[in-house]
Amino acid sequence: MELFDLYRKDHWPHVFCPGCGNGTIMNCFFRAFNDVGWKLENTVFVSGIGCSSRIPLYINSDAIHTTHGRAIAFATGLKLSRPELDVVVFTGDGDLGAIGGNHFINGCRRNVDLDVICINNNIYGMTGGQASITTPHDYMSTTTPQGNKEYPFDLAEIAVAAGANYVARWTTRHVHELTKSMRTSLTKKGFNFVEVVSQCPTNFGRRNKMPDPSALLDWFKESSIRRDKVRAAAIDHVDLNLAGQVTVGEFVSRDRECYHERKGGGSHGDGH
Amino acid sequence: MRPDIDLAYCKGCNICVYMCPKKCFSKGADISERGYFAAVVASPESCFNHGRTEKLICELCILSCPDQAVSWKPEAEEGEDVDKAG
Amino acid sequence: MSIKPGEYFLQGNEACVEASMLAGAKFFAGYPITPSTEIAEGLAAKLPQAGGEFLQMEDEIACISAVIGASWGGAKAMTATSGPGFSLMQEAIGYAAMTETPVVVVNVMRGGPSTGQPTRASQGDIMATKYGSHGDYQVIAFAPANVQEMFDLTVKAFNYAEKYRVPTFVLSDAEIGHMRGLLTVPKEVKIVNRKEKGVRRSDEAYDVPDDLVPPFPTFGKGHKAMVTGITHSGKAAIEPEDPRIHQELVRRLNEKITKNRRDINKWEVIEPDSKTMIVSYGSASFGGREVAAKDDRIGLLRLKTIWPLPVEPIAEAAASCDQMLVCEMNLGQLYWEIKRVVLEAGCSRVEFLSKVGGEPPTPGEVRHKLREMGAI
Repeated sequence: MELFDLYRKDHWPHVFCPGCGNGTIMNCFFRAFNDVGWKLENTVFVSGIGCSSRIPLYINSDAIHTTHGRAIAFATGLKLSRPELDVVVFTGDGDLGAIGGNHFINGCRRNVDLDVICINNNIYGMTGGQASITTPHDYMSTTTPQGNKEYPFDLAEIAVAAGANYVARWTTRHVHELTKSMRTSLTKKGFNFVEVVSQCPTNFGRRNKMPDPSALLDWFKESSIRRDKVRAAAIDHVDLNLAGQVTVGEFVSRDRECYHERKGGGSHGDGH
Repeated sequence: MRPDIDLAYCKGCNICVYMCPKKCFSKGADISERGYFAAVVASPESCFNHGRTEKLICELCILSCPDQAVSWKPEAEEGEDVDKAG
Repeated sequence: MSIKPGEYFLQGNEACVEASMLAGAKFFAGYPITPSTEIAEGLAAKLPQAGGEFLQMEDEIACISAVIGASWGGAKAMTATSGPGFSLMQEAIGYAAMTETPVVVVNVMRGGPSTGQPTRASQGDIMATKYGSHGDYQVIAFAPANVQEMFDLTVKAFNYAEKYRVPTFVLSDAEIGHMRGLLTVPKEVKIVNRKEKGVRRSDEAYDVPDDLVPPFPTFGKGHKAMVTGITHSGKAAIEPEDPRIHQELVRRLNEKITKNRRDINKWEVIEPDSKTMIVSYGSASFGGREVAAKDDRIGLLRLKTIWPLPVEPIAEAAASCDQMLVCEMNLGQLYWEIKRVVLEAGCSRVEFLSKVGGEPPTPGEVRHKLREMGAI
């Protein structure tokens, strides 16, 4: 299996639970990685803390598994000190959107050349199933035993608003579409964000009458709506989120100048 | 080509069973050495890639398997497996 | 682009900027905070001219994180902050200690807790520097007492961070940072670069045994380095639950500093044979210095290294005097550490002159305290 050559075989099988979407996303990512001709020797994988952030530890390249929420900040420093390296961030919904929310927004704004893959499993998996910022309203978790009173964040829409260069969202049910978006993300310069809604049968599914991975994948299939259709119908995406539905597709594809491509002109100053 | 499940990696999540549009896979009844009810390739001949050796299509099982347990195997080896099973 | 040898009249923070450039800093990430901001402003102008990168991040957590990331890319990287920003950095400082990342943090100390006195000096972060992050770890910290030392010790901070792969601090304060004074840049300044994995070299800077300070696997050079804050073994595989591996790792991280204390410790003594010795550091030593210079009965031991604590010079001073006075701009932080060493060395009387509020103790205040002690 070609993809397997990219992994640290001595660390296999990985730590993820049976049916976890992380492995699926690794397959799609590395299929895209191979397709665009990236090389492991020239790539560094950065992650924070959480289930998804364990992924770099299984890749046969330089990897840095950092503190909770700060992966984008670490990656920014690394990329700017070594612009010739390709830097990929693997992160999760809690890591990126909750504790690291500020770094995420400012990362999109700053537009350093990074590829950020966010695995959104709607829950804190590694700590045993607490509600996250993307847990849909009224769904169950160990910290929302009467159902989630809050409403979820829409990470991809935030990335669009904050100025990310490329934004796409798919679920683990959309493996081909996801692979294609990852290919696009890897070929584009700038801050590229791909969110993948992923299944956590152990901690999310089990508490929400979907203990089987296939039930979660079915749920993704039913609840996902193409973003272009939503926009064409002028539906407020927030209303969709509240209803536990998720928009998927390619959200935006810009060609903004990267942070380190900008040489500076200072045309608004007095030239002192 | 036919899909093949590596019992050393399969954790029995049955995502392949769910994803395959041609129902090549089915839930396993035997516990693997690692303690999982590993899925089995019940009807490899229904696979889109049956008889193909290149330009493989679909690959939903390969891309979806979270444990990298599904891979392509040339059909030439199929006979050996059948013998063993028999 | 580095400063040329010669004499200059500079601010403490500006001297720190010049020292960083000379030491080879290639990356700075900062966030504006009084009284350290001039360091960020200076490096924003100078770093890009020298092929380096200056970055203003969204908060101090992002700053130290970016600095650690840049260091793994192979750059000499630093940040500068003060009180509240320093508190925000603590988790990542522990991460840098655990992953053995060379980083330099300049903390221009101001009055705390909380927002406190942004424009006034303090030595309130002494314990936070060493004990601020969770877990057992060691760092290196220097305390400059004038513009010249702000320069010299910043260069040393880079050298020691690189040599021992450890977060290294320059604990300046609002007095030193904003003080203007004479800076003499010598013709030759010793610069140490990290020992890179897979690179053979016979540099005497690396007389530290390899088992204590492993060579640095810079990213993008084919080392396949796996860097993690989780307990890891020599092979860099994660081993979060093996008691032996954790113990070996944490002990080595501490011992690489404590066992090399003699190499790291710097200090200055005035009138070493006096009956009464003042122990102080940074701007708290101004008053004591003036008193000791004018009075034969009073000596001064001024610590330039704070962490690891210079145990030997303190014990030596304690063994030859009758009483000691520790002078600090906090309510007693290094005092307790020093007292422990002094009592063990056989000197039974250790007094403490504490001053908080933003102004260093004056010579008059030091004399008053010495009179109370019967020293003068």
